[in-house]
Amino acid sequence: MTLKLQHITQQFQDGDDTLTVVENLDFEVNKGELVAIIGPSGCGKSTVLSIAGALQTPTSGDVFINGKNISNYPKNKLADVRLKNIGYIFQASNLVPFLMVKDQLKVVADLNNTWDEKRADELLEAVGMSHRKKQHIQHLSGGEKQRVAIARAFMNDPELILADEPTASLDASRSEEIVALIAHEVHTRNKAAVIVTHDESVLPYCDIIYEMQQGKLVKQKETSQ
Amino acid sequence: MFSLSIKEMTFFKLKYLLIGFILFFVAALVFIISGLANGLANDNASSMKELEVTNFYLAEDSENRLDRSQFTIEQAEKAKDASAFGVQMQTTEKGKDGKKIDSTFMTFENEKLLPTIIEGKMPQNANEVIVDKTMQEHGVKLGSVLYLPSVEKKVKVSAFTEHFTYSHTPVIVIQPALWEKVGFTYNALVSTSGTPAQSIDGDWSTKEDVVAQIPGYSAEQSSLNMMLSFLIIIAVFVLGAFFYIMTIQKVQQFGILKAIGAKSKSLIRATMLQVFILSITSITLAALFAYILPLFMPEGMPFVFEPTVILSYGAALFAVSLIGALISTISIVKADPIQAMGRVE
Repeated sequence: MTLKLQHITQQFQDGDDTLTVVENLDFEVNKGELVAIIGPSGCGKSTVLSIAGALQTPTSGDVFINGKNISNYPKNKLADVRLKNIGYIFQASNLVPFLMVKDQLKVVADLNNTWDEKRADELLEAVGMSHRKKQHIQHLSGGEKQRVAIARAFMNDPELILADEPTASLDASRSEEIVALIAHEVHTRNKAAVIVTHDESVLPYCDIIYEMQQGKLVKQKETSQ
Repeated sequence: MFSLSIKEMTFFKLKYLLIGFILFFVAALVFIISGLANGLANDNASSMKELEVTNFYLAEDSENRLDRSQFTIEQAEKAKDASAFGVQMQTTEKGKDGKKIDSTFMTFENEKLLPTIIEGKMPQNANEVIVDKTMQEHGVKLGSVLYLPSVEKKVKVSAFTEHFTYSHTPVIVIQPALWEKVGFTYNALVSTSGTPAQSIDGDWSTKEDVVAQIPGYSAEQSSLNMMLSFLIIIAVFVLGAFFYIMTIQKVQQFGILKAIGAKSKSLIRATMLQVFILSITSITLAALFAYILPLFMPEGMPFVFEPTVILSYGAALFAVSLIGALISTISIVKADPIQAMGRVE
């Protein structure tokens, strides 16, 4: 099991009130599975993703990544987990503004001291960006930036890929292209992946679909590929 | 992270160039003022600085002031391992036209203390004198006759020396024979090393203490030093503010880098590296600028480039910019990786 959330509860303090966004949630994702989480805005699906991605520590409950409980890890160790075990694809591609396409991949590799130029070339080829690898990212379109972000997410060969509304800033035909690409990479590279989205056109590419309801995840559909 | 720092600087050239320029100008101003302070100090008291004397024996209660200290010829003769020294600020008149020149008379019992001659010959008799070459600006030449109105005496210029001024006036070195003959008293006993015990009443003072009491010396130096310390303080705030703005502008970016696995430590290192490169380059260029500046300055501008002083002020500015940058790294530590999610709940 690549990702396992156990009895997760997340509460926020809103003035005098305590807001429970996630309540006693259990969730698992296995290798080779592409899981989608859907639900209305503000239902807490991104919170689940940030907890699964070691960006946020839940109020209570345990997070297992590759079987290791990271709930009580200090900040530095969490940064290492994010670096080595998780690949992120954000809503805004969140690339480093002053770097060329290829250097975007080099940053994460350098942080991990494992720069492999061949791998970077191969990844950029896979996302169809190899012809622009010497370009600065300000010259790229939104879809192209997202492709680079996908390549970056796979660069350190993480076991888990997390995508937060990866298609939100793209038009319909581009978003289908991007999700198809994520799905293809996840399946060929045998990774576990979670996509948080409210874009219905994404769903046909996903293996399992959960919907966020009252702080819990409810399985909607399971397709076998 | 080294290449990341460099790439960021070359990509945002203008931003880093502007900060570099500010650092450069602050550093250049510090160096120029310190050069002026040095130059004025030299111009003021070069005779005392050149003098190979370590200590002055002054009369009691003279408070390190040469003009308040007096020793008679008889007292001066009792000096042990020290020699008599006299200094009088007096007006001189130049030969025929009687033009008045502010000057300082000095005498040295110990001939070894006489200044180095750059032009002319050692005085042969008591009526010949060595003068500082700035006298040339008043038309004084070798062989010129100077009139000392206070003692109604004429002397002949037999040699020029350089860097031999006292309280911004050129020094006229008079032989002890003439000094005693015209009735001047001595002002101090000088020692070339240590403070040998004396039988006459008085106290030993260091050269630094005596120089500080030369008329105008402390006033000049303290006002320039005040400017310098204010400049350094201003630099702390200006640079601190700039680096702070630079880092808070990048908080989002730090958040993203943290989200993809960068640690605060390596982000701080990358930022400090940029500041390090910026400061070293700017301060070095400013030092070079101060070094070549005298070539373009008008003649007579007192400016002395003293490498050790420049180095210490350069180091102070360098430390200041590193400290300024270090303070701003707090915002790096605080940058939250969850910002990368594009929303903070």
